[in-house]
This record gives sequence, structure tokens and C-alpha cells, in this order.
Amino acid sequence: MTDHAKSKGRAIWLWLSSIRVGIVLLILLGIVAAVGTIVLQRPLTDPEKMERAYAPDTLRLLDSLGLTDVFHTWWFAALLALLGINIVSASLDRLPLAWHYVMRPYPRPAPHFQMALPVQKSIAVRHMDQAIAATERAFRRHGLRPRRVGQDGSISLYAERNRFARLSAYVVHLSLLLLFGGGIVDALVGYRGFVTLEPGRQVKEITLRNGSNKPLPFALRCDGAGQENYPDGTPKRWWSKLAVVQDGLDVQTKEIEVNKPLVAQGIRFYQSSYGMTGHVGAIELTATKPTEAGFSKNLVVRPGDPVALDAEHKVRLVSFVPDFVKTGDRIESRSDRPNNPAIQLAVEGPGGAVDLLWIFPYFPDMSNSKHAPYDFVVRDLQMGYYTGLQVSYEPGAWAVWVGSVFLALGLMVAFYFIPMRFWAVPVDDSRGRLSLWLGAASTKNREDLAARFQRLVEDVEKDLQSENNRERPGPKVVRMPNTA
Amino acid sequence: MEAPAGGHLLLALVGLSMTILLITALMGAAKQGGLLTEANFLTVSLILYGGATALYVAYAVTGTSRFVTFASLATWVGFAASTMAVAHRWAEAGRPPFANIYEMLLAFVWTLGALTLFVEKRYGVRVIGTVTLPLAVVSVLLMQVMPSGVHPLVPALQSVWLHIHVSLAMLSYAGCAISFALAMMFLVQDKMKTESFLAWTSGMIGAVYVGALATRFDPSGGLRVAAWDAAEGHQIFFAERTPLLVVIPSLGWLFLVVLLVVLAPLGLYLWSRTSERPEPVLDWANRMFFVGALLQIIACGVFLLRVKEGLYRSVQPTDVNNGLFPTHLSASPFLLAGAAGALFASLLYLMLSWRRSGLERMIPPSDTLDVLTYKTIGIAFPLLTLMIAAGAYWANQAWGSYWSWDPKETWALITWLVYAGYLHMRIARGWRGRRAAYFAIIGFAVVMFTFFGVTYLLPGMHAYA
Repeated sequence: MTDHAKSKGRAIWLWLSSIRVGIVLLILLGIVAAVGTIVLQRPLTDPEKMERAYAPDTLRLLDSLGLTDVFHTWWFAALLALLGINIVSASLDRLPLAWHYVMRPYPRPAPHFQMALPVQKSIAVRHMDQAIAATERAFRRHGLRPRRVGQDGSISLYAERNRFARLSAYVVHLSLLLLFGGGIVDALVGYRGFVTLEPGRQVKEITLRNGSNKPLPFALRCDGAGQENYPDGTPKRWWSKLAVVQDGLDVQTKEIEVNKPLVAQGIRFYQSSYGMTGHVGAIELTATKPTEAGFSKNLVVRPGDPVALDAEHKVRLVSFVPDFVKTGDRIESRSDRPNNPAIQLAVEGPGGAVDLLWIFPYFPDMSNSKHAPYDFVVRDLQMGYYTGLQVSYEPGAWAVWVGSVFLALGLMVAFYFIPMRFWAVPVDDSRGRLSLWLGAASTKNREDLAARFQRLVEDVEKDLQSENNRERPGPKVVRMPNTA
Repeated sequence: MEAPAGGHLLLALVGLSMTILLITALMGAAKQGGLLTEANFLTVSLILYGGATALYVAYAVTGTSRFVTFASLATWVGFAASTMAVAHRWAEAGRPPFANIYEMLLAFVWTLGALTLFVEKRYGVRVIGTVTLPLAVVSVLLMQVMPSGVHPLVPALQSVWLHIHVSLAMLSYAGCAISFALAMMFLVQDKMKTESFLAWTSGMIGAVYVGALATRFDPSGGLRVAAWDAAEGHQIFFAERTPLLVVIPSLGWLFLVVLLVVLAPLGLYLWSRTSERPEPVLDWANRMFFVGALLQIIACGVFLLRVKEGLYRSVQPTDVNNGLFPTHLSASPFLLAGAAGALFASLLYLMLSWRRSGLERMIPPSDTLDVLTYKTIGIAFPLLTLMIAAGAYWANQAWGSYWSWDPKETWALITWLVYAGYLHMRIARGWRGRRAAYFAIIGFAVVMFTFFGVTYLLPGMHAYA
């Protein structure tokens, strides 16, 4: 590579790995994300709502810029990719120094290092051995574990704390990348959708968020579902009894509720909602014969299954409208709730004769069963219920959780465990005067280190002072020999 | 710097007003029956925090250390009352207070009090109460007008992750509030010009009033507020999701006048930057600011009085009640909070402009404040990270998706990004100090938006809080 190319490459590398670029990227991502919360986003919003909220020209402009689905545009992904590159290159740039720091401690600083260190103090001492011993004691009193370095004649002390915390920043950024990775895997390979199940039914596929269907590697059967309410009527609990069926066998069953999903082969099913299908589940009828007083038969009809009335006649549920209203000629339902049910029955007789009749339980006079051989009265109506399940497949989720945990742990170590190093080195200046050089260094929080160092030095000085006092000749106590 | 005997007078005044308010509250409570209720504890903490705020401000203005001693004392007692309120709510609901915004504010006020006392004790920054306690007072005021009933938890909230996620949120948000206070003090010590504070404060208050008027000014000159059904204790609805609005006459004009006077200092400041002799222009700007503060007090007072009495004409056409409806403070919590917050900001600026040199002697030096801000954010940031992660894990359990770019989730992420940016600024040379302080302040503004703004301006799945 030519020198020019090399220096250009170097310049690009410096730019990519600079913290300033990183901060700018963070700001840009923040702004883009903010826009994504203010402009209506297509995945979460109904198309009609989008068209109502924006004028057609505005909507076209927003769509073309990608602002209606910001988080899935190529340029948002590019920003994230740039941030990832920035993190990787900044880490690689600084890792050698940190690794060196961690792997090869610096037990005895060279004189030029001693001179340049910002936090240092030299103390004049009389006896170096005593001074070193006193300093050792002081180190221990301040929670440091000193190590003697060197041989007799020139022993220095070295103590350090939290050496491995030097790598915490790298743990933080690596975890972040792992988290990203998990998210990317899920975005590419994972899927989310929903499925509704009626009790007793079984499904083999789900509907994805984009509307398409996705087959399941097994069948899911609902054996029951329900809702419990609080005394004030608000929902307390939705539950579903689910069974996973593979090759005709129930391989797993679970009663799920909100916050407690079913996981089968990595696919997760969440209790999401519960509601009326708007279709009827079963209708209990009492059949009477207009021609035969005293005849009365109780029966239950369900959609699709004819029920025998007698040897020749059967009755079948043809149609059910939960909230009947007639607009013009059309029969419509105002809602899914059985506010005004209308039931259409077909009485099938011998020779293929079919009588259709309508029953309106709330308006008995409207029921028309003119020629039918049977009259019906509705005793009870059971609406059909469905249970709504959210479905998701997130193979990268584990990476997101592991990444988050290590991210938080790494941050806590980075802020609360600051790597520090302390030295005590004997210095013999050319005039034969002894002094003890004390120094300290840390990677962060210089002020705290300075305060801590100050206290340590004062302690050492106090210790040495009391030693010197002990040494000073005081009144001698003469022991008289024991004369015989 | 000891002030002369005047210190006793102010102490006596503040003490007396607090006592009178407490006795009034006590009598009111005794009449209603039930002394040791959560609402009463909250009222006590409101009165005590209010008194403490007054004393902290007095300390900041005069330097009388007696004031700050009593301010601390008042904060401790207010904190005890706040703890009792939380305990009472917890006992009554059978679970920690995290299920709706009233309960979250309760937790937030408690955490703010705890952290204020902690920072005072541990780092010796005694004036921090001047910024954090007004925030607590505004929050308690907001709570007084919010629906406070204890409701059982809907299915999605029935999870231990609710407690984990919300406590982490409260701790980290309160930490961010402290860092905001420290960053503001840093700007004072970093010799940011008083005029700059004037311009920003004036602009912010103007924004509050612009927001209020843009959404509420009625062509007749009145101010629109929601109608309130006192019997039922909630807003009256005209149609689904559309509250019925009534017009308080002339209040719109009053707010407009306030807006113009409050923005005048900003305009004058901008003029002063181009003028050859800025001092007289700035003097006028400060005078206008003072007038603006007085007008805000008047506008708040008129608003409070009008809202309590009378029936007002509804905006949407209706025949019910002859088209006249009452309203209540509870119908406009954000208007109240915005007006109270703007007033506090005005008072803080006035304190700064009158006693800046005294303040500068009382606050730690700028380097210390810079480091303290960093340390506070160093505590808040891991908590913020855990909060987002816990929220994502819970969302995965409840809704099947750990990240859906929901507005609340996205704004929490934006908050995280801003603070991540702040933490890296110390490494980038030349971006310490002033720029970092701006980031810390913007970060807190984003926190407030994430906490309140998203709930009320950008609805989504996070509808509970």
C-alpha cells in the first residue's frame, strides 16, 4: 500500500474509532428515534388511520423518506451498523493498552515515571527498612495488599486494586454488541404473529404480523379458556388450557395466563386476550308441536349438527345473528354481543321438505313459524368464545438477555471498582540522604485517588514520626546488675 | 456569612405558616374522619417540603446557615411523612405502589426526598434542595389532582417484574433529577452569564404558556378546560375519548398577557446582543421578568379561584344542563403542573439574579460539581440500563415481544442514548465541563418527557403509566 493510501486509511481509522464520532452517532440515533415516535409508524398503525392523519401529499413524502417506518429503513440500519463499527474500532484501538495494564503490572516504576506522576510525595527517612515496614503497615490499614519488590538493599512496595476492572469497558461494549446481535438475528429469522383458538379446536398455523400465514411444526389444541373478573367487573385473569400435539400425541400441556406463556420448540404462545366470537356456541331449545298439546322436547343445537326431533324430522341451525337489525332488505348485526339474537332454524322433514323459521327470543311476536310442524322456544344461549394468543419465535432472545445482564454488571464494575496502583520506592539521592517516594495512579476519578493517597501518606508520616520519637534518646533506665 | 437577626424573622414566618397550614389540614382531616390516611401524610409532606423549599431558597439568597439547618430538618420530617404515605398505600393495596401514574409519582417523590438527603449528607451539597424539592412539591401538587383510587391490577401488571421495573425507573429518574440540579449549579459556578439563564428561563416559561394557549385559547378570549363531574370524580365526556370542554371567560386574555410579558425578557435579551450598550436593555429585561413572575402568580391565582366556583359554557354544543358545567383542578392537572413549574423556575431565576455572588460562595466549586454530576449519572445510568432490560424482559413475558419500538420504549432508549453520550464526553477531550452539563440538563428534560410526555402526548401500549 502506498504511503498516501496508508495515511488515508489511518485517517479513516482514527475517525471511525473516535469518541466524538460515537457521540454524534448516538445523538443522530436519538433524533431519528424521536421522529419515529412522532410520525405515525406503519407497522403499529392502521392504514386508514394513517390516511386520516396526514394529507395525501404529506403521506407520500413521509413514505418516500421512510419516516413512516423509520426503524426498518436501510439508513437506520446503516446508522446502527456505523455505531457498531465505531464501538468495535474504538475498543480495538484501546484494548492493547488495557490488556497490557491487566496482564503486566508495573511493580517498580522507573525514575522518569516517578517524576512525571501527578500524585506523588517524597518523605525523608532515616532507616529505609523501618520506613518500608511502616509503609507496609499503613498500606494494609488502608485496605491495600502490598507486595515487596526487588532484593535486599532495594526493596520497594507495590499494591493495586481492581486490576481486572480495567477491562470492564470492553465487557460493556462487547455485551452491547451481543445484544445487538441477538436483535439482528431475531429481526432476520424470528417472527411474531397471533392466533385465535376456540375451545375444542386445533390449529396448525398462525397469522404473522404482515398478514401471511405460517405453518407450525405441530398442532396446538385449546381444551378450555376463560376469563375471571374482579368484583368491579374489570378483568382479573385470562387463561387457556393448551395442548401441543405432535404425531397425534399430546407432547405438552399447560394452562397459560398473561405473563406465563407456553414454549414449544422455541415458539412461544402468550395469553393475550379473550372475547366473544360473535358466533353462537350452543342453543338450548324446547320444541313443541302445535298439533299435539303437551308435547315438549328439550334439545341443544350447535352450528352444523342437525338434531333429531322425531323419527322423521330433524332440526338444524341455519343462521345466527347476535345483534339483529334490519336495514332495508338486509339483515345485519350491530355487534358481536347477543343483544338482540335472531336464530334461523331449518326443520327437515320426510321427502326432503324443509321449513325455515326465524326465532327472536326478545320479540316472540316476530317469530314466524307458520307452517312448520314444530314450534321452538329458546331456553338458553351460549355464545362462542375465543382465546387470543400472541405467538413469537425469537431465537436471538437469549443473546439479548445475556447481553443485558453483562452490560449492567460491566457498567457497575466500571463505575464502582476503579483500578488503582500504589508504589513506595526508596530513593537514595547522590548526597546520601534517604527518602521514600510514594506514588499512586488510577484510570479514573483522580480527585478520589488524590484524597485517598493523601490519607495514606499522612498515615505513613504519622507512623514514621512515632517511630522517630521512639528512637530519640530519652532518660535511660540503668539496670543495676544483680550483685550478689 | 452570617446574616443579621433578620434570619429569625424569616424562620419564624416560615415556621408559623407551616404550623397554620398543618393545623388547618389537621382540622380538615379530623372533620373527614381518619387522621392517619395516605392523603393526610401526603399533605403533611407537601407542607413540609414547601416550607423546606422556602428555607433553602432563603439560605441560597442570604447565606444564613440557620436556614439550611431548619430546611434540612423540614426535609427530614417531610420525608418521614412521604414514607408513611408510601407505607399506607402499600398496606392498603397489598402491593408496592407501582400500578399507575399516581402511585409512580408517590414513589418518585419518595425517591427524590431520599436522594436529596443522601446527597446533602454524603457530598455536602446543601443547596441541592433548592432544585429538587420544588420538583417534589410540583409532583405532590399533581398527585392531589389525580385519581387516587386503589385498583386491582389488570392481568398484564400481575407480575413481579412490575415492581422491579418501576422501582428501577424511580431510582434512576430521581438520580437523573439530582444530576440535573448539580449540572444547573455547575453552570452557575462555570460563570455562565446571568443573561443566558434569563433567556433560557424566559423561553421555557414562554413555551409552557404557548403550549397552554395553543391548545386552549378560545376565540371568545376565554381558556378551555375540561369539564368535571364532581359526583363521579372524573372528566365529563362528550363522545368516546373526547372530553367535554368548557370556557372560562377572559382567562385566555390573561394568559396571553402573561405570555407576552414573559417572552419580553427573551426578546430584550436578543436585542441586547446586537445593541451597542446592552446593560440598560438587560436591566429592562430583568424588570420585565420580575413583572412576568408577578403576573404568573396572578394568573395562577385567578385560575385557581375560577376553577373552583361557577358553571361555564361548554364548547361542544349540548343541551344537557343548559350547556353549563362545572370544572375542577383535577380536570387540568398538566395546566396546573406547567404553571406551578414555570413559577418555580421564575423564582429560582430571580434568586440567581439577585444573589448570584452569594450563591457562588455557597455552592461547591465547578470542578467538584462536574465530578459530582458524573458520579450521580454513573449511579443512575446502570439503573437506567437495568430498567430498560427489565422492562424488555417483562414485555416479552406479557406481550411476546421484548422490543416493539413503542413510544415509551423508544423514548427510554433515547434517554439512555443521551446519558451514554454524556458519559463518553469526559473521554473526548474538550467536551468536559460546560458541554457535558448541557447534556446532563437535556438528558433530564428527555427523562421528564419519557415519564410524562409520552403518556399524555403519544399514547401506545404503555397506556397504564
